Amino acid sequence: MLKDKSKIQVFIVLSLIILATLISKSFSLSESIDDEAREISYLLMCPVCQGQSVAESNSDLAKDMRSIIRQKLEAGESKEKIINYFVDRYGESILGYPPVKGVNLLLWILPALAVVLGGIGIGLFLHRSKAITGQEINIGKVENTKEDKEYLKMVDKDLKDLDK
Amino acid sequence: MKILSIVSRLAIFVAIILVLSIMGYAIFGNRIIIKKSPLVGYEAPDFTLALFDGSTVKLSDLKGKAVLVNFWASWCIPCRDEAPELESSWMKYKNKQVAFLGVNIWDDDANALSYIKKYGGGYPNGKDPEGQIGVDYGVAGVPETYFIDPTGRITEKYTGPLNGEIIDFYLGKALLNHDTDGLTQKDN
Repeated sequence: MLKDKSKIQVFIVLSLIILATLISKSFSLSESIDDEAREISYLLMCPVCQGQSVAESNSDLAKDMRSIIRQKLEAGESKEKIINYFVDRYGESILGYPPVKGVNLLLWILPALAVVLGGIGIGLFLHRSKAITGQEINIGKVENTKEDKEYLKMVDKDLKDLDK
Repeated sequence: MKILSIVSRLAIFVAIILVLSIMGYAIFGNRIIIKKSPLVGYEAPDFTLALFDGSTVKLSDLKGKAVLVNFWASWCIPCRDEAPELESSWMKYKNKQVAFLGVNIWDDDANALSYIKKYGGGYPNGKDPEGQIGVDYGVAGVPETYFIDPTGRITEKYTGPLNGEIIDFYLGKALLNHDTDGLTQKDN
C-alpha cells in the first residue's frame, strides 16, 4: 500500500516537472517569436507612411504586415526569407536600411567621403589662418636696419643731452 | 598660401555637394519602385477568395482567361468613381475570355455589402479580412488593380481609379502579350 502511494507521488512530481518544462518552453518560444517579429517589423518601412517602420505604424497595411510576419515566423520561415517576401512585393524601398550594393553603395561611401573632405577643408583653413597670424606676429618683430640703429643712437644721444 | 585656400574651399564645396546628393537621393530617389510593382512579369500569387454570396473563387481555376483583380474599400472615394466603369466593362467582357474579381480590404462586411448594392459589382466580389491577398500582391492603397494574362502572369498593376479606356488597354495587353515561356514565380 505504502509502495503504491510513493509510486503515485513520484508520478505526480514527474508530471508536474514535465508540465512546468513544457509551459516554460512554450513561453520562451512565444517570446522569441515576438522578439523576432518586432525586429523584422523595425527593419521594414511602412509603404503608406512617411518615415515610419512597420513596427511603429498604426495603418491597416502595417497591421496586416505585422500579422503576416508573425504567421510566417510561426510557420518556421527565416528572417531573410520573410524580408525577401516583402521586398519581392514592395521593392527595395521597403527596407529600413539601404542594401550595400549598386547605387546604394554611394549612400554608405558618400557620408564617409564627405566627412574626410570636410575635415581636410577645415584643416587646411585652420592651417592657413594660423600661418597668416604667424606672419602678422613676425611683421611686428622685424629686425632694425642699420639706418634705424644709427637713428635710434642719435635719438638716445639727444635725449641724454637734454637731461644734462 | 593661395593654393591652400583654393584646395580647402574646393574640399568644403565637394563635401557640401556630397551631403546634398545624399539628401536628394534620400528624398527623391528609389520612389519609382513603389509605382511599378516588382510582381509584373511574374506568376500571380494564387488565392482563394471568399465571396460575399458565400461561395469561393480560386484564381488558379481561372487560367485560360485574362483576369482583372481590383482591390477596393467602401470608404474609398476614388473606388466609387471607378465602380460604374468597372461594372460597364464587366458587362462588355463577361462573355469573352475575361474574368473580373473584386477584393475588399480594410473594411467591414456591412459597409462592403451596402457599397456593392449601391455601386454595382455584378462580377464576383469577396473579402480579404486578414489582408493576406493584399500583401501578397504588394497592395499599398485602394483602388489598385492587377491585370493577369491567361497563363497566370501579372502583366500590369494600375494604381488609382480606372476608366473604360484604361481597362480596355490593359486587358487588351493581357490578352495579346502573353506566352507560356519563361513563366517564373516569386516565393510565397
